[in-house]
Amino acid sequence: MMNMLQACGVVAQQRPADSILVATMGAMFVFDRIDAAGAPPKVASRLSSVPLMGGAAGLGLGLALAQPQRRVIVVDGDASLLMELGSLNSVAAQAPKNLLHVVIHNGTQFTGLANIASPVRGFSFAQAARNAGYRQAETFDQPAAWAERFAALLALDGPGFVELMVEPMPAQTGPGFEPAEMPDLQFERMGREARALQSFLKESS
Amino acid sequence: MTDKPLQDHAVPASACIAALRQIGVDHVVTVPDWVQLALHARLEAGEDGLALLNTCNENQAVTVAAGLTLGGRRPLLVMQNQGLYNCINTLRAVCLDAHIPLVLMVGQFGREYANLGQPATASRRSMVRLMQPLLDALGIPFHLLDRPADLPCLALAYAQAEQRGGAVVVLVSAPLAWS
Repeated sequence: MMNMLQACGVVAQQRPADSILVATMGAMFVFDRIDAAGAPPKVASRLSSVPLMGGAAGLGLGLALAQPQRRVIVVDGDASLLMELGSLNSVAAQAPKNLLHVVIHNGTQFTGLANIASPVRGFSFAQAARNAGYRQAETFDQPAAWAERFAALLALDGPGFVELMVEPMPAQTGPGFEPAEMPDLQFERMGREARALQSFLKESS
Repeated sequence: MTDKPLQDHAVPASACIAALRQIGVDHVVTVPDWVQLALHARLEAGEDGLALLNTCNENQAVTVAAGLTLGGRRPLLVMQNQGLYNCINTLRAVCLDAHIPLVLMVGQFGREYANLGQPATASRRSMVRLMQPLLDALGIPFHLLDRPADLPCLALAYAQAEQRGGAVVVLVSAPLAWS
């Protein structure tokens, strides 16, 4: 098994500067940490599907079709993708060559907070992607193998799919736990990122 | 009611296509709509410069269209009223909160022909009757495509969506004509 930082770190470190990254909320927070800590940050080419579970694949598909010269990487969550499992078919029907769809399979919802079990035990997202018609689908549970294979997968004609078997982050909730209020940023960042992404695409086209 | 209840209300699909071309629409993202079958037929047959994308449900249609828009394209969403009911949370995220401009043609599936020319809010059917109050509640502007003379509302909807940053709905009242 790999952890979230290893799973997302490979994407953050290896994706090309002109690529687009679409992520759901669990991965988004990890990419935030990586962007804050590392160099060079690629914040302007990110779009978070938040708060919107299930939206990442559709956003990535639209971006991939609109920007066929760029690589688009979607980092989805297992519970999110389950909400819109049909998006595998919607992607495969359009067959964008420049799309790599990654799912973080950690079996939990509110990961790192409450770790509530997701109804996903025994389910193979990679097999579902193959059945839908993705050109290739692979599964990784070791960070080194994922890091070694990422560039080659990104270079292949897509749509490609990767299922990463990831251990959940430790839960924080329990007796006496008091959640912090959701900040406005949580509800504004998708719009902010959308505008930044539009500017990035115009400036770098 | 006349023996041809649709004759004053059916907008030709060809006229819709012409209007979309004039506006510069390049993609139609859809979950098929009974009311707009004539438009679907033309798009399925192939219309130069108008790519057709079928999705599995309306949430995906909205997110795909949003991605296209951010990528510099000009999509149209086509769905029916129950599809819009299905994707309210996605519209909330993409259009109300993130302010991504989108135009939706939404067919009033189930509308009684006797209700054409009357307020849709007087329909016996909840699917039809609830649509305009719902859009009002969501703060989503809408236009009524009740007859061919209303077609300029499509261009207006795009101008409004892009100026406001959000969704604008064009409600298609009657089945489109196969001409």
